[in-house]
Amino acid sequence: MTRFIFKRLGIALGVLAAATYLFFLLAANAGDPLDDLRASQQKNRDELIAARTAELNLDVAVPVRYFYWASDAIRGDLGTDYRTGQEVTDMIATASGQTLKLIGFSSVAAIVLGVMIGVISALRQYTGFDYGVTVVNFLLYSLPSFWVAVLLKQWGAIGFNDFLADPVIPPLALLIIGAGLAVVVGAAVGGKWKTRLLAGGASGVFAMIVLGVMSATGWFTDPSLGPIVILALGAGFAVAVTFLSAGLGNRRALYTTLVMALVGGVAWFPMQTAFGYTDGLVAFLQLLAFIAAGYVVGLLFRGPDKKVSARAGAITGALVYGLLWLDYLMSWWLPYNETAAINGRPIATVGSSTPQLSGNTNYWVGTLDTYTHMILPIMAIILISLAGYTRYMRGSMLEVMNLDYIRTARAKGLPERTVVMRHGFRNALIPLATIIPVDLASLIGGAVITETVFGWNGMGKLFVNALHEANTNVLMGYFLVTGVLLVIGNMIADILYAVLDPRIRVDA
Amino acid sequence: MKLGAWSKGLAVAAASTLALAACSAQSAIVENTAVTVAWNQPLYSLNSSTSSGNATANAVILYMTQQSFNYYNADQELIDNTDFGTMELVSEEPMTVSYDLADGVTWSDGVAVDNADLLLNWAALSGYFNEGEPEYDEETGVIVPNDAQVWFDSVVYGTAISNTELPEITEDGTFELTYTEPSIDWKLNMTGVGVPAHVVAQRALGIEDADEAKQAVIDAIMNSDTETLVKLANVWNLDFDIVEMPAEEDLNLLVGNGPYEITDFVQDEYITLSAREGFTAGPAPSVETITVRYVTDPLASIQAIQNGEISITQPQATSDILEAAQALGDSVVVDTEPEAVYEHIDLNFANGGPFDPATYGGDAETAKLVRQAFITAIDVNEVLDKLIVPLQEDAKWNQSQVFLPGAPGYEDSIANNGSEVYGQGDAEAALALLEQAGVETPVDVNMLYASNNTRRVNEFTLYQAQLAEAGFNLIDGGNESWGSLLGTPDYDAWFFGWQSTSTSPLGAESIFRSDGGSNFTGYANDAVDAAYTELSTTFDEDRQIELLQQIDAELWNDAYGITVFQFPGVTVYDADMTGVSTSPLSPTIFWNYWEWGVPAAE
Repeated sequence: MTRFIFKRLGIALGVLAAATYLFFLLAANAGDPLDDLRASQQKNRDELIAARTAELNLDVAVPVRYFYWASDAIRGDLGTDYRTGQEVTDMIATASGQTLKLIGFSSVAAIVLGVMIGVISALRQYTGFDYGVTVVNFLLYSLPSFWVAVLLKQWGAIGFNDFLADPVIPPLALLIIGAGLAVVVGAAVGGKWKTRLLAGGASGVFAMIVLGVMSATGWFTDPSLGPIVILALGAGFAVAVTFLSAGLGNRRALYTTLVMALVGGVAWFPMQTAFGYTDGLVAFLQLLAFIAAGYVVGLLFRGPDKKVSARAGAITGALVYGLLWLDYLMSWWLPYNETAAINGRPIATVGSSTPQLSGNTNYWVGTLDTYTHMILPIMAIILISLAGYTRYMRGSMLEVMNLDYIRTARAKGLPERTVVMRHGFRNALIPLATIIPVDLASLIGGAVITETVFGWNGMGKLFVNALHEANTNVLMGYFLVTGVLLVIGNMIADILYAVLDPRIRVDA
Repeated sequence: MKLGAWSKGLAVAAASTLALAACSAQSAIVENTAVTVAWNQPLYSLNSSTSSGNATANAVILYMTQQSFNYYNADQELIDNTDFGTMELVSEEPMTVSYDLADGVTWSDGVAVDNADLLLNWAALSGYFNEGEPEYDEETGVIVPNDAQVWFDSVVYGTAISNTELPEITEDGTFELTYTEPSIDWKLNMTGVGVPAHVVAQRALGIEDADEAKQAVIDAIMNSDTETLVKLANVWNLDFDIVEMPAEEDLNLLVGNGPYEITDFVQDEYITLSAREGFTAGPAPSVETITVRYVTDPLASIQAIQNGEISITQPQATSDILEAAQALGDSVVVDTEPEAVYEHIDLNFANGGPFDPATYGGDAETAKLVRQAFITAIDVNEVLDKLIVPLQEDAKWNQSQVFLPGAPGYEDSIANNGSEVYGQGDAEAALALLEQAGVETPVDVNMLYASNNTRRVNEFTLYQAQLAEAGFNLIDGGNESWGSLLGTPDYDAWFFGWQSTSTSPLGAESIFRSDGGSNFTGYANDAVDAAYTELSTTFDEDRQIELLQQIDAELWNDAYGITVFQFPGVTVYDADMTGVSTSPLSPTIFWNYWEWGVPAAE
């Protein structure tokens, strides 16, 4: 393995050197850094042109100029932006921070959703649900992102903000939402028609009632969950987590998760005080505490497979903490929404924070503000990248589910849940695990269009701006960072593959 | 207890009433008013006089945080700001200009704005003490701080302000600057005090006290103390480059003398300016905070206006953007106004091509006839109607080579400069001129333009069709790096936009003078040269305009080329706002920020 890594690293360095050279030729010829001065009527224009030519070595032939850059880059000096004098390393640090925030959230969400939908649609192969997912997937996949972004802004921000001014859902809309949900759930559940009708109809009616009550009680103006709802939702999570991870037949696991749901409902009262002193770090520690509590509860129920109960307890603990956190965050919604800087229009279309909010911000308001700015770009990225993961997961799952050992597992009488979750799902994840590092690495390069349209100043924006200004130093800095990440991502993918699948050897 | 609470309440009420009364007596600032402006590039330097800091992105913010002796209004007139100070031409021979700062003008930290600031600004701008050559970092291009030589990295070094002597401070405290060569742009050469001298000295020399720091600046300049000047120059060149809110110990970089001070600055996101109390040095604004948000995508800025996130935007004008803005209806106001960039076609006089007399054995008349035919055949109205009017309904042909439409002298000039016979797409007249010249048709003309600019590609297509009817074969010489190809012999003609940055009468001198630095066409006319020579020492404004009109007429008479249109600009702003207007010159939309009004938030 070590030999493999070193060999790959060596090759990677060679590839990078050659690629940067090629890219430098392109970057240096991408435009004319003197453009702005040439059309200027400034009286000392010639002097300014001469000065910039000297600064950027524009009088040196491009193939040679590369070595000026490379010799500095090897020493860690990526130069500066000739227009602003800013260090390229600083610019990349800021830009990649923004991109990571955006890509981090949306990638995790896209992967989780994609895997979920992919698995369900593989299990319901050739049903209406499967076809529906496929159609929607290809539709989303083929949408141009700038268009999705503009539509999202129009409906998700401007439209939603207008709705918030008088948040009442009309009865017709309620009916449509309910019916839509009924169809989707009915299709996803599968099985007999009666079951599907019942499941779909129940969830549709339930959704209509909940939304109707929320609309009537002004929940959208001042949202909250409260201990009762947290208890109920927690119990729902408990059953779902137990079903997926241990099976409802495992009573110890079920009791563990239900205890955690109860803990959540009770913990609501002390947490109202605790959250008042919470910041990002404290919130993380609190989350760890809930996970640990779930684990301990699982162990306390003992039994032969107490680790399984502990795991289910830990997951439920995390989910319950999420509910508590969300509930407290909601209590800040009204004050946030009424600030002069927000003025009743919380969902933003540009930038990553609200100006003039900084004076009265705490962890909760800051978090709300970040999310109101991130939600649209994240949705745009999810909508477009979801399709890839869904299709990938569906294919991989189908392949695995048709293998002999799955038939063996069924033949020896394992419950379907175990067959799917333990024997099928895990193995189907292997190919996905190998594309994710490469995907992430290339995403760090920035979502150029999404960033531009939403006014986020991430890596994509940095690249486009530098290209417009023929800013060779910035372009090269960008290319170096993304290039290195891509090479590393590829390597991780190869190694991961070998680690996850014992049939693959990399020692060669 | 109850009484205590009551009396406290009363005291607070009384105090706040007093405070409010005090406020209203001094300033017009309306509480809880905020305006957010979309702009396309973040501020990166608080010193816009350095060669790297000289950019509109910096200038628009500094326009609100620093005051100056004058500013441009929407009609391109230079207005004196006597609340800040007065600039006077004391004598023409030798040319002496006096600067008299108004009493009570202070920096935002309370220190007086005085002659020390003027002195440092002069020393820096003029580069009077500059020695040797500056050293730039080999690859990165940033000026390297040096310990031995004084180098103020001034963007105007080498221009008129450099032809000055060490200023004198008279007994009554007036600052007097004597020029070694006359400069009619004396009002524009040094318009303010630049960065605060006491802050520069405090940072460079480690002095705490502001008065001592000011004295150190005066001493260093008056005694040519190189050692101190080196330190001052290094701070002046580099310290004011910031891209986010500076650290606690560097907050003195934000000291300004304008009505607003920078109170929040998030990298690449926004900069917030808050009105300061006790400002007397110019027109007083009423809006409490102005935030400039950095949004580059034009459509994004329109949707942001609709969503109430910004109040004013000047997106790059395209018909899509204009449509999107107009679709917002009554909630916004959409203004279309021309910008200070004008498109023009130049003909090459010196490449052995169809417009060069040398082609016809030195027969200047023939070459002129060919040029006249060329600009007679061009139909500017078609170009305007198809490309510009959709963006700006009242767009008109810019008929002058030296005046911007609307500038003083423009109307008189176009009435007499002989331009009206050109640009009407008269193919027959053009053919007649070519026949008179006795040249073979079709005449090949290789035309250069920016091929990566859609509007220019469309323009070229129109010109090609217009000229084809008049005996010219326009060859597509479009190139992305057109800028470096201007004036090269391969091209017989080219078109691009010149950007005006001031209304200086000498603004276009370098283009039309035979030895001018931007004279790409090889144009040489003794009458034009002579007029510019006279102009450079003419202080009388009427005479200046007369001379410029002469130059304009000469240019059209020589069929120098043809001007076409001004770039159309679009301003979209919230209908709640009042007093918004835009100027073609920098700082465009910001020029009258003190007239902005907006309803207060509840």
